[in-house]
Amino acid sequence: MARVLVVDDAAFMRKMVSDALAGGGHEVVGEASNGVEAYDRFQELRPDVTTLDITMPEKDGLAALKDILSFDPTAKVVMCSALGQEAKVLEAIKGGAKDFVVKPFQADRVLDAVSKALA
Amino acid sequence: MSAALRQLGESTAEAVAGVLGALAPGEVERGAVTVAGADTDPLAGIRAPVVVASVSYVDGVTGGNLFVIGIAGAKRLAASMMGLSEPEDIEGELSELELSAVSEAANQMMAVAAGATSKVLGEEVEIGVPQTQLLASVEEVEALYEKTPHQAHVAFTIFGESCRLVQLVPNAFVVRMGRAFDQQAGALLVDHDVPGPAVDGGGGDVLRGVSLRVWAELGRATLPVGRAVGLASGSIVELDRAVDDPVDLFVNGRRFASGRLMLADDGEWAVQIDEIADPADASAPASASAGPPIQEGVR
Repeated sequence: MARVLVVDDAAFMRKMVSDALAGGGHEVVGEASNGVEAYDRFQELRPDVTTLDITMPEKDGLAALKDILSFDPTAKVVMCSALGQEAKVLEAIKGGAKDFVVKPFQADRVLDAVSKALA
Repeated sequence: MSAALRQLGESTAEAVAGVLGALAPGEVERGAVTVAGADTDPLAGIRAPVVVASVSYVDGVTGGNLFVIGIAGAKRLAASMMGLSEPEDIEGELSELELSAVSEAANQMMAVAAGATSKVLGEEVEIGVPQTQLLASVEEVEALYEKTPHQAHVAFTIFGESCRLVQLVPNAFVVRMGRAFDQQAGALLVDHDVPGPAVDGGGGDVLRGVSLRVWAELGRATLPVGRAVGLASGSIVELDRAVDDPVDLFVNGRRFASGRLMLADDGEWAVQIDEIADPADASAPASASAGPPIQEGVR
């Protein structure tokens, strides 16, 4: 079981990801709806895994990934991207993200990505 | 110019239909793409109240997209995205969660559409965050966007409910699309002049059944032996390519083509070929054997 921070600007996606994680026995310790909040919540909660949407207001997922990893280089981050964002996903993986999930996704894929990030 | 606009409309409509089909399996029908000028009302025939998700391009190109759907359609789409067969309250007001689901659907549709457009233009096209609102009148919807010289519309039906995608296209965008299509057409003509591969001939049919090893190379690095043997789990090796650079495709050790790394629908990596290598360049083997490069190449 992992303590997970879920970051997405869409409340709907936060619920979908949180439900999937809860179904897999993980604990969602916090949520954030943009990159600025994500960094604040990460510092405050120190989650085992963070799921990070790419397209968000204020600060996008790639910028938030950089902030989080500069604060904690061992942070385990899974990116959530839509189809068509391959270049951004590559940039995120190169930047230190552990895995990615492509939306729309099945709950099992989210759980696999979290397991992989923790491995 | 209208051919480029139509092509843009078609590729976007196809991308959007694919995403909607994944969100509402078996419940999506796509209509024809209509290309229109500035004097056309893109929202003609739409009855308020409606949910409108507006997604702009923020980088690479100007312009935007409106996804317009009625309340019942929005509720059914949201329910399907949540894995429900029916909305809990089809007659009631649209909840914040349902509105957010439509917004997320628009985000996913436009990300795919932007990906399709960026492949045509050969440069990255980035989308902004969707602005999604429930609007009570068509006038409110019209106030959302500025008129552009061109539009492309496509109608969809989801669970029997109508919705519409409107692409608002400025002139500069159409010109760039037209140029990109012309270049692609020119490249195809040149390709036809290149002699075919050696398998064309008497034994061609037999050779066509032979399996070849194909791999894609993201980039290379040269390391001193001291550093190479010191690599450990977690070490990072910088490659010689930028994120947006094309990747090379090798066939049995020879560079055969270059292209773009992309994600297939099933989540696996794929390479979309941009360019077939010149036969003279392709003669340079990546390694002496038929396997992938073992010292410097990274698969």
